[in-house]
Amino acid sequence: MRRIIVEYEKCDGCKNCSVACMQAHRKTPGTVYDLNLTDPENESRNFIYQADDGTYRPVFCRHCDEPECVMSCMSGALKKDADSGLVTYDEKRCASCFMCVMNCPYGVLKPDRVTNTKVIKCDFCSQDGGEPNCVKSCPKGAIHVEEV
Amino acid sequence: MRHVIIGTGAAGITAAAEIRKQDKDAEILMISSDSQVHSRCMLHKYLSHERTAGELDFTEEGFFEKNNISVVNGKAAAIDTEMKTVFLESGDEIAYNRLLIATGADSVIPPVGDLRKASNVFGLRHLSDAQKIDAMAEKAQNILIIGAGFVGLDAAYGLLERRKKVTVVEMATRILPLQLDEHGAKAYQELFEKEGVTFRLGRRVQDAVCGPDGQIHSVELDSGESVPCDMIIVAAGVRPSAGFLENSGIKADRGIEVTSRMETSVKDVYAAGDVTGLSGIWPNAMKQGKTAALNMCGVKQIAGADTEYTDTFCAKNTMNFFGLVTLCLGALIPEEGDEVLTEENKRIYRRAILRDGKVRGILLQGDISNSGIWQYIIKNEINVSGKEKKLFRLTFADFFGVGERGKYVWTF
Ligand SMILES: Cc1cc2nc3c(=O)[nH]c(=O)nc-3n(C[C@H](O)[C@H](O)[C@H](O)COP(=O)(O)OP(=O)(O)OC[C@H]3O[C@@H](n4cnc5c(N)ncnc54)[C@H](O)[C@@H]3O)c2cc1C
Ligand code: SF4
Ligand code: SF4
Repeated sequence: MRRIIVEYEKCDGCKNCSVACMQAHRKTPGTVYDLNLTDPENESRNFIYQADDGTYRPVFCRHCDEPECVMSCMSGALKKDADSGLVTYDEKRCASCFMCVMNCPYGVLKPDRVTNTKVIKCDFCSQDGGEPNCVKSCPKGAIHVEEV
Repeated sequence: MRHVIIGTGAAGITAAAEIRKQDKDAEILMISSDSQVHSRCMLHKYLSHERTAGELDFTEEGFFEKNNISVVNGKAAAIDTEMKTVFLESGDEIAYNRLLIATGADSVIPPVGDLRKASNVFGLRHLSDAQKIDAMAEKAQNILIIGAGFVGLDAAYGLLERRKKVTVVEMATRILPLQLDEHGAKAYQELFEKEGVTFRLGRRVQDAVCGPDGQIHSVELDSGESVPCDMIIVAAGVRPSAGFLENSGIKADRGIEVTSRMETSVKDVYAAGDVTGLSGIWPNAMKQGKTAALNMCGVKQIAGADTEYTDTFCAKNTMNFFGLVTLCLGALIPEEGDEVLTEENKRIYRRAILRDGKVRGILLQGDISNSGIWQYIIKNEINVSGKEKKLFRLTFADFFGVGERGKYVWTF
């Protein structure tokens, strides 16, 4: 399977990846130049946090080998795809219980801000051929995709 | 090798899928008293008519065919562990090499008045319960719910959508007494009340008498008040569904006794899920099912996964009523000497209970974004001394580490 490898030492906190993620998942047409960063509809699936020493820690979904989120899902919405290895989310099946939010050990998941009915989760940009836009947008090479 | 699994709930289905993953050729047969696979956690969506029975199925389409699993509809009535045979109520006999008991739990109807004998009193555990409630809700207008725990409120939530008049009676002085503190409970109580639910808190049903039609039309509370009703839903707790094990030699007390490999006291018989009494929530039932399956297949060690049930922490829950979300983990009530941190504004409420630098419990209401780290912090008793000031702003960045193949590891 493929995973986004994080080299946090290279990250300088520009958050291009988060903006790219918001752009990739926006519901309205348009380019990154007119993306409304303050619209709660636009949410990033990845998170760049500043550590106490001022450096940055990129927190991205691992599409875990043994995904705890899947092991808490009571509707069948979250699944580990046997072929691709990706952990996929089916919004239509989701029952909005948010046990998965509680169960992801890295705190990657969250309910959507607008309706609290959906889970905001990395989909490896399957709509763009499975090439994550965050990776494409990183100017520092702090994240890259690797076959693991 | 013939694996027989009794129960098609969280534990049973997870086990079946795992057995198939481990062994392409084993025969897998499931026995279930359910008319179809369904997730109990979604029953309220059936009551509200948001989902059909079919839409409560949590397995992927074609699960049984794809995995070559056969299902027998029926109720297990007894097990002969010497003959290695399960006897169904229908009289059918099913032989096994390895057996998994994953029969979950059943609602307990307390022996108050005629509650146990009336024809308009139901638990809410199985789809069949929800179907009976749904049928009666066609005519019933006044619905009484006994118990303001998770299941009781799920029932209320579902029936509100149908514009029923709902009264909830609860012994404790607040709703969701096992999940929330006073403050967090109040927020939900107000939302339910705004939608027309009436609560009788700190009260118990003292008597309930059947009319000549076999139904209870009003109950008497310990306050002396009489509450009229057309239907009663009892959500006052569950009991492991292990009654049929009598005389089987399989040890059960409150639930079926199991080792960390989910073995019962009898060779080749395993148990997983709510029936063990170890937990009463979905994630733990899945994990136990998976653990049982690995051991049934003789897998004693496997890379990256546990073959023993060690992740036993189960004081954890999330809820989402009227779009107000809550996460609650660990201790709920502070003990003497505990430190309590709270944070509150119009939108959110947060409370943590700390002792000796460790978080014993946390409650987050209104915003549970990225809150997955809390379970890890609490169950591993991670010391957060010195971080109290930014406690509610901790993220995985505070424990960040990268391991092999790009996996994250917790460092502290
Ligand atoms: C209304 C409701 C809401 C809930 N909400 C949540 C929630 O939001 N989050 C959460 O984590 N948990 C929730 N739970 C709890 C969760 O549903 C259970 O923990 C989980 O279903 C346990 O799985 P299990 O496989 O052990 O048992 P079950 O899912 O109960 O499955 C038991 C299976 O055994 C079958 N069976 C029983 N006896 C026999 C017999 N004698 N012969 C043959 N088959 C038999 C049953 O038909 C069923 O198929 C909820 C429960 C209810 C009732
Ligand atoms: S959401 Fe969390 S648990 Fe699920 S695959 Fe991603 S990192 Fe793993
Ligand atoms: S919120 Fe949706 S995806 Fe997450 S565990 Fe619940 S049903 Fe599954």
